[in-house]
Amino acid sequence: MLSNVARAPRAARLRAAGAGSAEDPVLYGRPLAGRSARGSRSGGPAVKIVLYLHLHQPWRLARFRYLDLGSGRTYFDLERNLGIFRGIADRCYRPAMDRLLRALEEDPEFRLSLSVTGTFVEQARLAAPDVLDRLRALRRTGRVAFLAETYYHSLAFLVPPPELDEEVALHRELLRSEFGAEPKVIRMTELAYSDDLARFAEADGFHGMLAEGWEGVLQGQSPTYRYCAAPAPTVLLLLRHYPLSDDVGFRFSSTSWSEYPLTADKYARWLAATPGDLVGLFMDFETFGEHHSAKSGILEFLSALPGEVRRHPHLGWATVEDAVQGPPRAPLSVPYTMSWADQNRDLGAWLGNDLQRSAFEAAKKVGVLVRQADDPGALTDWRKMLTSDHFYYMYVSGHGADQGVHQYFSSYESPFDAYANYMNALSDLRRRALEKLGVPILK
Amino acid sequence: MPRSKPNRSRATPRRKPRPHPAGRGRGRPRIQRERRARTAASGPLDVLAPSVGASPQNGFRPTVRLEVARRPLSIAMVGWEFPPRHSGGLGVHSYELVKELSKLGHRVLFLTPFTGPFTPVPGVGFRFPGDAVPGPSVEYPPAYWAGETPDSPFENSIDGYNAWVERLSNLGPIDVVHVHDWFGTYGGAALARRLGRPMVMTVHSTEYDRSLGHPWDHILQRELAGIRSAARVIAVSRHLRQQLIDRYGADPKRVRVIYNAVRPTERLERIDPTKRVVLYVGRLAAMKGVDTFLRAAARVLPAFADVLFVIAGEGPEYPRLVQLAANLGIGERVMFLGKVTEEERELLLEGSSVFVLPSVVEPFGIAALEAMAAGVPTIVSKTSGVAEISTGTFRVDFWDVEEFASRIAELLEYPTLRRAMGEQGRWEALREGWPERARETVTVYLDAMREAGLPI
Repeated sequence: MLSNVARAPRAARLRAAGAGSAEDPVLYGRPLAGRSARGSRSGGPAVKIVLYLHLHQPWRLARFRYLDLGSGRTYFDLERNLGIFRGIADRCYRPAMDRLLRALEEDPEFRLSLSVTGTFVEQARLAAPDVLDRLRALRRTGRVAFLAETYYHSLAFLVPPPELDEEVALHRELLRSEFGAEPKVIRMTELAYSDDLARFAEADGFHGMLAEGWEGVLQGQSPTYRYCAAPAPTVLLLLRHYPLSDDVGFRFSSTSWSEYPLTADKYARWLAATPGDLVGLFMDFETFGEHHSAKSGILEFLSALPGEVRRHPHLGWATVEDAVQGPPRAPLSVPYTMSWADQNRDLGAWLGNDLQRSAFEAAKKVGVLVRQADDPGALTDWRKMLTSDHFYYMYVSGHGADQGVHQYFSSYESPFDAYANYMNALSDLRRRALEKLGVPILK
Repeated sequence: MPRSKPNRSRATPRRKPRPHPAGRGRGRPRIQRERRARTAASGPLDVLAPSVGASPQNGFRPTVRLEVARRPLSIAMVGWEFPPRHSGGLGVHSYELVKELSKLGHRVLFLTPFTGPFTPVPGVGFRFPGDAVPGPSVEYPPAYWAGETPDSPFENSIDGYNAWVERLSNLGPIDVVHVHDWFGTYGGAALARRLGRPMVMTVHSTEYDRSLGHPWDHILQRELAGIRSAARVIAVSRHLRQQLIDRYGADPKRVRVIYNAVRPTERLERIDPTKRVVLYVGRLAAMKGVDTFLRAAARVLPAFADVLFVIAGEGPEYPRLVQLAANLGIGERVMFLGKVTEEERELLLEGSSVFVLPSVVEPFGIAALEAMAAGVPTIVSKTSGVAEISTGTFRVDFWDVEEFASRIAELLEYPTLRRAMGEQGRWEALREGWPERARETVTVYLDAMREAGLPI
């Protein structure tokens, strides 16, 4: 049952697999019956596929009982986390990375982009260093771009400064030292995006940022073009084509889906029939071998896709850094924080209920104490607890069916279990900070 | 020389409207609910806690203005039924009210059309037509309940009762005339006028509501007369108060809300209302694992000064469990209530913060389901049947004292968790009821019949 505890918060987006998408077929360029692929224009491929895969593992908490407060127990279950990592490395990271390396060797046009969180790298170092070697090999091809983000895959952008700046800086440093990468494009945790975050990206010198291609903000425009942030026009926006991304990310192995089975040939035809300049296929790396098991044929799909794409002359590949080269079509304004999760594409999967909000507010309060206490160990523990996954586990879906979906990816029995455990560990962390500060603990 | 204006400022601030009390409209439980834990230097970690404590759904009531009388008051209560001669809630209300008034040192003379004897209450006297006390004699047909039209004996008896009240003598000193509902409004108002004393009227329901919008005019007139004559009107809910203002033209300044209450039994009165309660309800048998409950209590209690562990039920393990509590040094903070009635159990649940079912063996565990239905966050042993159907509970191995203790402590410590789990548990417990179970049972019957080759 390791896959049950494998992290994949993004699966909050899981709609009933195969359920009809609500998107506008014209707007989204869904392949309509009888539509044929367009011919190639002169001067290289007309439509660039921006394949972007996200790698992350959280530091899951051990059971930390209320009675463990002050006991000095560690919060994170090292062995369990590494065990999960090794399992996913076997099923997904190694085979999928090997296939990507081969594809890059065979097809000089093939390109992709990766984001790798700090917590992922920490666990990989301990559990499967060869996965990092593979990532370095991908980097050495020169056709794989790395993205910046928060080191801890955290909700740092909702925490008072300087948390966000520090986490992004930490992550930049990690990419430099580990992979020799200098990211020019940034993505926020769970593809969070807002005007404010665009301003942050601009101030930090990023050329581009990723966001969900959501109708709510596109207002009738197509997601298959380059946009720029309205309040920060130097930041170009690449949008996720969610129907095509979810066809692979969610629906691929769903036998009740009308398009099942999805072949690389069919998918390439859909891509070819999609109008626009860019098609953003953004998904979890774990899609390939973990969310969909090897038995589903997903790895063969991945191997075959570049070859099938090559058969459509007007299709090509681009990294996120290639894709932000060029003029934007229009400015986009997103006054609220959008994400790639759930039907509402907001932060509801992490901060939608009282448990989540209570835990996050408590974490913010403890953060103030931890910073005052000036204890590097406590600060690191606190940051690991800001990882969005912890809040995702506390999701209660208003008694609906999606509870099962969230539960599937949770390492807890219930959201109440997740909350109680988190709050205990956080209380302990606060106690440590207070002790360091010399504040007497009343209780 | 101009006299200075008397100081008319209010002695007390205006009262805020009170929200409905918690529970199923039954009044405030004696055991206080949702008291917040106070912890370390920087306040509670669960920062959403304050809003939880203040929400009306959680039984929070703003402070009610209370003034103490400087001398015993004498109240002429123009009532209707009184135990044991009562058929409804009005009799119970009257009984509880005069009992408490008498405990406060006041004297009540209860006037009723019914013939005694009545349940004696110290400090409360009764007057009824035909009693031994010299007074007015009235035509008083006994079949007061029989008629339905204003010409009926019922109407006559009401008139007779009112006339009797109006002319009553030998009452002794009276400070206030208190009328309940419409029955004695004419007589009560006349009596108050004659004595030169204020009239207070309690409205328990209105003719509009009782008749579903088609009121008897003569009853309406009696209600209106009472509301007009009363110096103060007491409504038993905010909703009713608003109705009196809107439909009866009552002066808002003169209408107060006083809720009905339930009487906690003496057993429950032993529970300190300032404490939070961790509850077990069930038999005291070995398979119920109550010793685990006590051992967990011993781990939790040192951290929570405001908590009591309450055990409701009887059984063969009782002496051993009392001994165990004493050995664990928590005898003072564990209460054995013995067997409780249905009503007592409901009251207990309403006032409890956590319910625990620690059974070693528990085929189902309906007590836990009842606690969940009452919105009490519940901890069950994994071996119980109820654990199979709920995600809104904490499930613990029956032998794991530390885990039981931690789960109890977590629920006591984090109000947001308590509320969220209470809601989820309530939803889970109520989502399917006996109708569904009956349908499932019918399906089993049909399967059996089909297998037996019987026509279905």
